Amino acid sequence: MAVSKVTVVISQGQGRNPVRRQLEEDIATMLLTEPGVDVSLVPHLYDMSHDHTGLLFLRSVPGNLIVLSWLYDRAARWTLDRTGVRGHEGLSLLKSAEEDAEDEDENDVVAKNGIGSVNVPNRRVYAIDLRCSAKAEDFIREVRRIAGENTVQTVELMSWIGGTPKPEQLQRYLQPERMLEARRAFDSGHATLEDKAVLPEDTGRRWYPVIDYSRCTNCMECIDFCLFGVYGVDALDRILVEQQDSCKKGCPACSRVCPENAIIFPQHKTPAIAGAQGEVGGLKIDLSKLFGGDSGESAIDMAVKERDRELILDGREAVGTSVGIKQKVRDEIDQLIADLDALEF
Amino acid sequence: MSEPLCFMMGLFKAVIPNDRQYSRRHLWLQESGPGRYRVGFTAYSVRLLQDVYFLEWSIDPETVVRDQQEIGEIESAKAVSSMFPPGAGKVLSFNPQLLNDPSGINAQNYGSGWLYEFEPAANLLSAEEYVEFLNSAWQDAQRTIKGQVNES
Repeated sequence: MAVSKVTVVISQGQGRNPVRRQLEEDIATMLLTEPGVDVSLVPHLYDMSHDHTGLLFLRSVPGNLIVLSWLYDRAARWTLDRTGVRGHEGLSLLKSAEEDAEDEDENDVVAKNGIGSVNVPNRRVYAIDLRCSAKAEDFIREVRRIAGENTVQTVELMSWIGGTPKPEQLQRYLQPERMLEARRAFDSGHATLEDKAVLPEDTGRRWYPVIDYSRCTNCMECIDFCLFGVYGVDALDRILVEQQDSCKKGCPACSRVCPENAIIFPQHKTPAIAGAQGEVGGLKIDLSKLFGGDSGESAIDMAVKERDRELILDGREAVGTSVGIKQKVRDEIDQLIADLDALEF
Repeated sequence: MSEPLCFMMGLFKAVIPNDRQYSRRHLWLQESGPGRYRVGFTAYSVRLLQDVYFLEWSIDPETVVRDQQEIGEIESAKAVSSMFPPGAGKVLSFNPQLLNDPSGINAQNYGSGWLYEFEPAANLLSAEEYVEFLNSAWQDAQRTIKGQVNES
């Protein structure tokens, strides 16, 4: 049976922020009755381990896919890519005004430099940031627009029901109404064993880099800089995040030294590191500076400091700027400092 | 005990009780045993954070920390921040009540919503000195917050 369908997967927020929960629920409920649309909920995209049933489900979704998450669309797209959920980039119109303005520049950069993804199937994946709007209707409208854009594509529905992941493991993702009900029971502290059985396995907060291959030039600065063995190369000599659990929680140093700004830490407080293209409205204020953090340093200074801190915590020697920083970059920094000094602030 | 002090954040009155000491990191410290202090957020911090949803510590109890060392993370309806100790010292234990549900920070920031027990290695501020510090730092604090809001 060939059907033309678009699947919407809502990646739930971390924690139990009631406002976020409500928006997720409103969108899911409205989409349940939407013709031509399947809707499902999974735990937070970034936190699911490789064999989490939520990811198995995502990988099993055929055809065009819309993923709504509390992540910058770029961060969501490349987190999906990393987990093997690939497709051509679908463009969502749901963006903040600032983001629109920068779009063309972004595309230019992409076309010129990045090494791109591999094994991309012929379908579209749309990543939409749930922070774009507080109104469920805005997301529904965009889903309808995307569904309309993709009416020609057909997929074999049955081909994915019988695949390798056991259907019963994935059943819960095919019953969004039941999952929402269980989630409400869980949030109010009245979950029964049956409720718990339909909820996905728990996830903890994770921390690792995600590479944006549309920007990555395979320059290997990151693998030279990181001294914790996070990076590696694949059979095609392409850089990849090989040992994500060796990554040091809170440390975004490699992202700061990446010349193409291609390394995303989706959970970092700084939008540029978390994968922002422009800025999304309604972003949270970072109070770290008031509560004791330091600031006002260059990106390389910060990266070197962050790396040294993690080395010392590991019982190793701090290396400062002596390892993994190209001489060229160092010269540029020296020049920058000299220029600033000359201005006599 | 004398009347608590207060600091006006615009129209909001942040109460600063003088039965305890303070740090410039907007934390209070109250002696709970010899050399042992309970640490919590001041009314000033709680006002900036508003409803707290998430709190996580990145160090273990009994860890010696330096000033400005990141020891955890907090997230609220309005803000995110790394957590920092009041100064150099040793973090002894965390408030178990907050580990599953950090909302105690909002409900009882000067009481049962304390964060951890701490052995400070540096000098602490009196309530008067802390209010003085708030007065001198308020302009900068507003600029820091508004700067971020305008950028986004």
